[in-house]
Amino acid sequence: MNIITCFKVVPEEDIIITSNGDLSFERAKMTISNYDLNSIEAGTQLIEANSGTLMGLSVGGLKIDDSKLKKNVLSRGPESLYIVADDNLDNMDTHQTSLALKAAIEKIGAYDLVLCGEGSADLYAQQVGVQLGQLLNVPTINSISKITEVDGKVIVERTLEAEVETIELTLPAVVSVTSDINLPRIASMKQILAAGKKPSTVWTANDVNLAKPANSIEVLETKAPKQVDRKQEIIEGDSEEAIKQFIAKISGELK
Amino acid sequence: MKIWVFAEKESALTELCGGARQLGDRVEAVVIGTQDQQGVNGADKVWSIPTQEGAMLEDYTETLASLVNQEKPELLLVAPTKRGKLIAGRLAAMIGASVITDVMELTQGGETKRMVYGGAAIRSEKAATATAIAMVGPGVLAVSPEAATSQGEVETVDFVEPKMKLKLIGKEQKPKVSVDLASAKRVVGVGRGIAQAEDIAMARQLAEVIGGEVGCSRPIAEGEKWMPKECYIGVSGLMLAPEVYFALGISGQVQHMVGVNRSKVVIAINKDKNAPIFKQADYGLVADLYKVLPALIEQLK
Repeated sequence: MNIITCFKVVPEEDIIITSNGDLSFERAKMTISNYDLNSIEAGTQLIEANSGTLMGLSVGGLKIDDSKLKKNVLSRGPESLYIVADDNLDNMDTHQTSLALKAAIEKIGAYDLVLCGEGSADLYAQQVGVQLGQLLNVPTINSISKITEVDGKVIVERTLEAEVETIELTLPAVVSVTSDINLPRIASMKQILAAGKKPSTVWTANDVNLAKPANSIEVLETKAPKQVDRKQEIIEGDSEEAIKQFIAKISGELK
Repeated sequence: MKIWVFAEKESALTELCGGARQLGDRVEAVVIGTQDQQGVNGADKVWSIPTQEGAMLEDYTETLASLVNQEKPELLLVAPTKRGKLIAGRLAAMIGASVITDVMELTQGGETKRMVYGGAAIRSEKAATATAIAMVGPGVLAVSPEAATSQGEVETVDFVEPKMKLKLIGKEQKPKVSVDLASAKRVVGVGRGIAQAEDIAMARQLAEVIGGEVGCSRPIAEGEKWMPKECYIGVSGLMLAPEVYFALGISGQVQHMVGVNRSKVVIAINKDKNAPIFKQADYGLVADLYKVLPALIEQLK
């Protein structure tokens, strides 16, 4: 089975909030979106259990073409990596991202399964996987908590709010997995070293015949929410006296 | 403004109809099957798609897309269930739009607010396409009091056969989780400061003493699986507003805190005095949970 696992490159959590409530990403390093570690791991496990090839794919601004990031992805199982890095593809909405991924997948060629995470760690719209499947005109499904390959078909378990469905998918298909489908592995030193030798291909938008699609969403403002004022009455220590003081403070609230 | 609503459940459909009434002058609902008058109270018009035997709700996406293409509502409100997210996303791809998911606020002008960067920021945005698709959960829109009385025409539409159908081979109800954290007045939250699954019993004792329920941070539910996913509080889980939130071994990362920062009072115990939780707590105790909790439970009894 040929599997393409898509991942998003997002700013790490150390985003700084400036005094007027704006966000600064100056100090934030770029990393693999948390939820996509699960889809990479799901792909790696499928290849290990059966056979086939696993390719990583990401689209975004030039900054996603980063050797450390590429090594990180490749150390987790994929045997090759494709990146469409182009400053025209920075800060895309879900529709634009899906179109860019589609263009890259068509350039890669044959595939049986495309895997996506539940949502992205930064914007968490939970939309790219399902839109991508529709754009590729193949069956697409979300919220998948288990994937098994049986005789060239894929059986998935889908965990919804109140029920769990078992669905048979014909391939090719696009599947978005949940964040608890697996526990992503921590790569060994050997895997990290081997990752450096695996091939990665970097394309521009032009290389994949992609003209930047128009925005389907206009972003008006992104601001930090107002902090709630808290009393911050903090007591230190585990002595009987400290516990007593603490209880004196909280008992009024617990009546 | 013409607003359409679509939801899996009748209760959500009715609420969305009532909310849509506040935003636009015409409200139309898309339903599967003959419409139950009770179920879609509040719509000026109901588009009814005939029920297809053995079809999943997902199989109606093509019909919905063809209707939207034909009628071009300015706004389509969809209830934010997982199934809804799939249908809305496929529909968006068909009509060249995006979906604004998990909307917290929606104005008459079509401006939406949603949480981004794991709760570190709120983003205001607006669809730039002819039809905007927004996923709006319960309680977000104020429901118009007149909603329950208005009733309109019904038009039955032709089913559009999907090119690809999902083959459902099994379906099981999930076991019901007995805790109702959303309506609990007091919530005890456990985080990474708990060393093993058995120790959650201490948190339960505390909850019992103060008359509350126990929830947890994401690593406890998803990484360790010590508690069911339904108990996880935070950005992709529960958003709570209890009277008291009692944080045990919770570090106070924004992804978790967005789920509890509407609490009236936040109380925290953590052994790390630099943990961000103490800046977001009314009362804090810097101490080893295992040393102080037994005494605390005893004295609070």
